[in-house]
Amino acid sequence: MSGHAEDPVLEESKRFFTFFNLSMILVAITGIEIVIIYVETFEGSAIISVLFATSILKFVGVVWWFMHLRWDKILNTILFLLGLGIALGTFFAVIYMADTHPVIEEDGFSVTPLDNKWETGKDYVKGDYVLQGESYYKANFDHKAPASFTEQVDSGEGLEIPWSEVTGVPHLFKWKISHGDSVEINSLDPGNQFFHQYEPAEEENIEGSKVSLLKKAASTEDFRIKVRSEAYLTVWPEETNQ
Amino acid sequence: MSEAATHALEHHEPVTSTGIPNKKILMWTFLGSDCMFFGTLISTHLIYRKISGTVNGTPLDIRNIFDIELTSFSTFILLASSLFMALAVSAIHKGNLKSTRWMLLGTIVFGTIFLACQVYEFTHFVYHEGHELTLSTYQGEPHVFGSTFYVLTGTHGTHVAIGVFWLLGWLVYSFTGRMSTADAMDIECCGLYWHFVDIVWIIIFPVVYLMEYAF
Repeated sequence: MSGHAEDPVLEESKRFFTFFNLSMILVAITGIEIVIIYVETFEGSAIISVLFATSILKFVGVVWWFMHLRWDKILNTILFLLGLGIALGTFFAVIYMADTHPVIEEDGFSVTPLDNKWETGKDYVKGDYVLQGESYYKANFDHKAPASFTEQVDSGEGLEIPWSEVTGVPHLFKWKISHGDSVEINSLDPGNQFFHQYEPAEEENIEGSKVSLLKKAASTEDFRIKVRSEAYLTVWPEETNQ
Repeated sequence: MSEAATHALEHHEPVTSTGIPNKKILMWTFLGSDCMFFGTLISTHLIYRKISGTVNGTPLDIRNIFDIELTSFSTFILLASSLFMALAVSAIHKGNLKSTRWMLLGTIVFGTIFLACQVYEFTHFVYHEGHELTLSTYQGEPHVFGSTFYVLTGTHGTHVAIGVFWLLGWLVYSFTGRMSTADAMDIECCGLYWHFVDIVWIIIFPVVYLMEYAF
């Protein structure tokens, strides 16, 4: 970037091939963008990342070669980047201003041990938990509960007892949040570990639930929920510096 | 290349203390400021797209009216016009007036095709039966999408139109017999403007059009 070369005519002639090749690359990248969208190769968020990356490639290609920044003095690059930087700053500032803190509604987060008693005649699906006596059991396959808990039923591969005893206590996690891009729940008790993170399909009026097996019985206060929006993070209960 | 042309290449424009010609530094400063201008328009479109994503309680599906094949073609045309522009700048630097003229003409033709596509697209959107997109409505219901979309793409189209007229001026000037390599810096500035219009579209195409197909 130190000005033009000594033989500018020869230099310009060489640039012809640079410009032509670059033009072909730009067209190819645009084609790739369109194919990615049509084929739906990735999920939405991944597509945006790919489009973002290809756009940057094309942007840099045009600015660096077509607009001669590669061969010009660096001050031109600085002037342009200054405007570009302010434009990007404006973009993020507007996003920040338009966003609000995610709100975890009153009683919008709860964790309770499951106390589903086994019932005869009820339909159970694989993975269901029931409380029988003092122990918890997990369904091995889909079935209709027979007359007694220990009675064998047809699993499709022969007669089997449909339940297996589990070690620990299954809990039901439920949450209801105004909006956000990401929800994260983790245990505050090191002796009773739990971590769950997911990105909701709908970013508004998020409701979700999950059943998970914990080492021992716990309550809502033993957990922390974090919800991220584009610009904000809501944590309940709030983190304290201890 | 003739000796005269080589001499002409060494023709110096008035420069600032930075060693950069006045016109060039002015153009880069303008382009920096134009970045901010388009930055605000793109930001506004994206924010309103996010916070006003429904029409009558149902998600706004703008793919009903978008014609992605046409827009992809427009994008290709604009990218190709940038190649012509770069070659026009290269040709005038080398003193090749004939080549400069052809490359300028190519850029003008491709720029005009892009504008024609945009005019067709806007007309198609406004009169698309059942899915009319006007400045203030979508499907007859009040909605902000048309405002941000038309202002953003329309402003870009206006930039293209200004560029086409600017290039047309140079093409006409080239037939007066007065054009020489002394004009190289002016055509280079014109080229910088044209390439800038191209990179703005490089951002608008995925952000405004392709993104609608990502979800």
